[in-house]
Amino acid sequence: MSTLSALAHVQAMETMQAVPRTEFRHRHLSGRPLVIVPLAMAGEAGAPLAAMVGSAKRNGTLLVVAQPRNRDQRFAFAADLGRIVMNYIDSFRQDRRGEGERSRYTDAPQILVPNAGGVKALADLGRMCRFRATSGPYAVPDVVPEFGMWLTFLVDRAEQAGTSTLLPVTAMLTEHWATGQSTLEDQNLASLMAWIAPPPGLSVEQAMADAENPDVCPPAGPSTSPEFDNRDLAPAIRRFDTAHTLGDPHALAAAETELRELIAGQIQPTWRMVWQAISLLRSVPEAPRTAKRFEGDCKAFTKYSDYRDSDGLPQRKRDNAIGAARRLGWLEHALAEFESDMAFDDRFVLADRRSAGEAFAGTVVEADPGRVVTTDKNRRVPRPRVTVRTEDPVRLAADTKLISPSLPAGHKAMIVSVLSDGGTTRVTVEITGGMGRSRVPQQGTVPELGERIAYLPDPGWRPAPQFPASDATPWTHSAAESGTDSVIPEDAAAEEWGNED
Amino acid sequence: MKNPVDDRLDALRGSAKRLDYNARSLAALENNPRCTLRALLDASGSDKAAIATHIGHPPSFGQSSFAITRGNAFEAMVKDNGCAELLRVLRETLELTLPEVGYEDLNDVGGDGRSKQRHERTEEVLLRAARGEGDATLFDHPMLRLLIGGHKVYLEPDLVALRIDGRFHVVEIKSFPIIDDQADSTQVRAATTQACAYIIALRDLLGRAGIGEEAVSDTIVLVAPKDFTNRPTGAFVDARKQVAALTRQLSRIERIGDLVDLLPEDLTFDLDPTPDKNKQPRRPAEELTEALDQVLVTYRPDCLNHCEMAFYCRSRARAEASLDVLGPTVREQFGGIDTTTMVMGLARGELTPSEDQVEIAAALRHAARLRAELEDLGGAA
Repeated sequence: MSTLSALAHVQAMETMQAVPRTEFRHRHLSGRPLVIVPLAMAGEAGAPLAAMVGSAKRNGTLLVVAQPRNRDQRFAFAADLGRIVMNYIDSFRQDRRGEGERSRYTDAPQILVPNAGGVKALADLGRMCRFRATSGPYAVPDVVPEFGMWLTFLVDRAEQAGTSTLLPVTAMLTEHWATGQSTLEDQNLASLMAWIAPPPGLSVEQAMADAENPDVCPPAGPSTSPEFDNRDLAPAIRRFDTAHTLGDPHALAAAETELRELIAGQIQPTWRMVWQAISLLRSVPEAPRTAKRFEGDCKAFTKYSDYRDSDGLPQRKRDNAIGAARRLGWLEHALAEFESDMAFDDRFVLADRRSAGEAFAGTVVEADPGRVVTTDKNRRVPRPRVTVRTEDPVRLAADTKLISPSLPAGHKAMIVSVLSDGGTTRVTVEITGGMGRSRVPQQGTVPELGERIAYLPDPGWRPAPQFPASDATPWTHSAAESGTDSVIPEDAAAEEWGNED
Repeated sequence: MKNPVDDRLDALRGSAKRLDYNARSLAALENNPRCTLRALLDASGSDKAAIATHIGHPPSFGQSSFAITRGNAFEAMVKDNGCAELLRVLRETLELTLPEVGYEDLNDVGGDGRSKQRHERTEEVLLRAARGEGDATLFDHPMLRLLIGGHKVYLEPDLVALRIDGRFHVVEIKSFPIIDDQADSTQVRAATTQACAYIIALRDLLGRAGIGEEAVSDTIVLVAPKDFTNRPTGAFVDARKQVAALTRQLSRIERIGDLVDLLPEDLTFDLDPTPDKNKQPRRPAEELTEALDQVLVTYRPDCLNHCEMAFYCRSRARAEASLDVLGPTVREQFGGIDTTTMVMGLARGELTPSEDQVEIAAALRHAARLRAELEDLGGAA
């Protein structure tokens, strides 16, 4: 965290209101996102209890598992939710442009959940569903494994910085606003919203107190509040079980209605709050480079969609060594790109990095615009040098490659020296690119004396790392146990299920 | 018998019954060891939940009955039929060679479930096993004992197994899942810390009979449901670091006298409960708050996850405009500054920095200039 970000939190605490930390919203926000609010049962491994799902505030569907420990009900729920989500995803698999390799869908789905726990709940659900067999013993409806594979794709993609196909709303809000509370409390959607937009007539303090009271603001899931579990849910599930055992259809219907109403009371406040957060986020203008990143989402979506159309296998339980290394490299690269994009687009983010010494801005105090050098290949090329005086605490070293949001696109430079000069710093940079093809730099591509310019490090292009073929991995990096070669675990269909009555 | 420190601790607690440490509160020691208030309340055996509730900051963590039911059902299933499932895990998943198995139930002594009797029986059985006598290798719910600050604390691990490489191992049975060989790291950590108390107590028991601490392994065996099934799987967890940390914290409790000496003579957290079974506190809440306010607290936002007093401490930190409210990531940006007032004063240049604040003050003024620049140009929505 930079001093500037930390200061924003202190300011928020002092003024008792959220402080904006970016000028733009750096995440694509779909015109028609699908919101899912998942609830799970405490103590069970990935036992879904309920979900509210829909692509408009007035149009949410509530799905409830009356007895989450029952395997059949669990998969009936997965199938119901799966059908809604797959309908939504399929609606984006229509409009396609481009030829051959470049052909892709023009839009991509976007699923929004209240918090990071919601992503975890979907990950568990995806893992639970994707290996299920649709025939033989323990068969599940066709949509279940398909849904599981798509969820896993979305969850994997959500790990990559700057993507928008699956996002927790709390993360989008904290990217734009700093609150006067801790990161831990920011995880609570209601507490976070209390700072940004407290309910009418309430102060931030009152709204915060309400946010932590489960009777006023039920938790945004996936866990329900223990008081609710013990006081309301447990007896209602018991009544359902009793009616089920007795085979009394009236009692069963009554018990189901009661359960639905109880859970609706817990889930609807969060549902409304997520949509309120979405409209707040919509009012923040989108950053220019977001469109480029969204194209990456469309590309990944098309690729996975085609893979599914060709009946591809479900994702592995765990990556093999090469897959994991490749993925890690890719994630790191995406993060560097995203951070640089944000700083390039957004003066707030640039200021943040300046405060941390990772970027600088200042006035040109010396310039050698006519400097020419001879390259190894005996070509004479312009390499102008300028010296920038800045008050920023520059922490960049010589030879760092730079890009600039204040100069024409394509501008590239490299640090020659960083010298401290009293309270200021003098950074000399050599301009290496973005000056046109001729021997004399084009007009306006070299900063002039007295001009104010900003620089930040170039995340750069990185070659794709080379890895050995999968049959040539050294024994240290190949799976030792037998049976892991097959992607689908042998016992997938027969996996035993707990607490079956 | 009683020493003056104990008298002072009893006075702090007042007339209520003493609450002893348990494996959970011991584990929680590791989370915020530097908090004086917590140390005093725990050492004096005060009822933190009752105190927090009385002063208007009731703790908010209950446990869902679903989680409890599930936990008990899973443990029972693992131990069914003389630990048949557990043995399968130890043999197949953890690939241990356990030639002969003898199961010893230590849940009660001939129907007597009192801690003292059970502890004596446990001591007898475990010492015999350590000397290579008897044929028991699995000990179900042994009752261990630890002296903490001169008080006996009884601890009850799920299971202790002998003859995993000839050493005692603490086995923790937990109901959170291990999905594709991965479990939630916070839950694993909590389980490990809890098991550390058992390791220390077990070493203490053997140590009293002159058996070295190497007889108890500092690797614990975690048994938990595999994936989404009800079948158990197992994993070894290295607890060396946490055993060392907890040992250090326990030795600090012994030095509680140093903390007590710093308190005003007449300080007490007494709730003055009614003598009937309702135990209604009669002490005015304001008076109790005043008493608590005199003790130093070290509030951190993650206290909200485990300490009963956290809401009180947070409101106190807020009232003092303390940077503790914002958590360590923000706080560590402002080394040596404690309050938002000070941060803003330095950032605006209204306060003169002390010698060791010069550097941070410069960074703050720089950040404030940047912030002003952004806001002048029209802030974001």
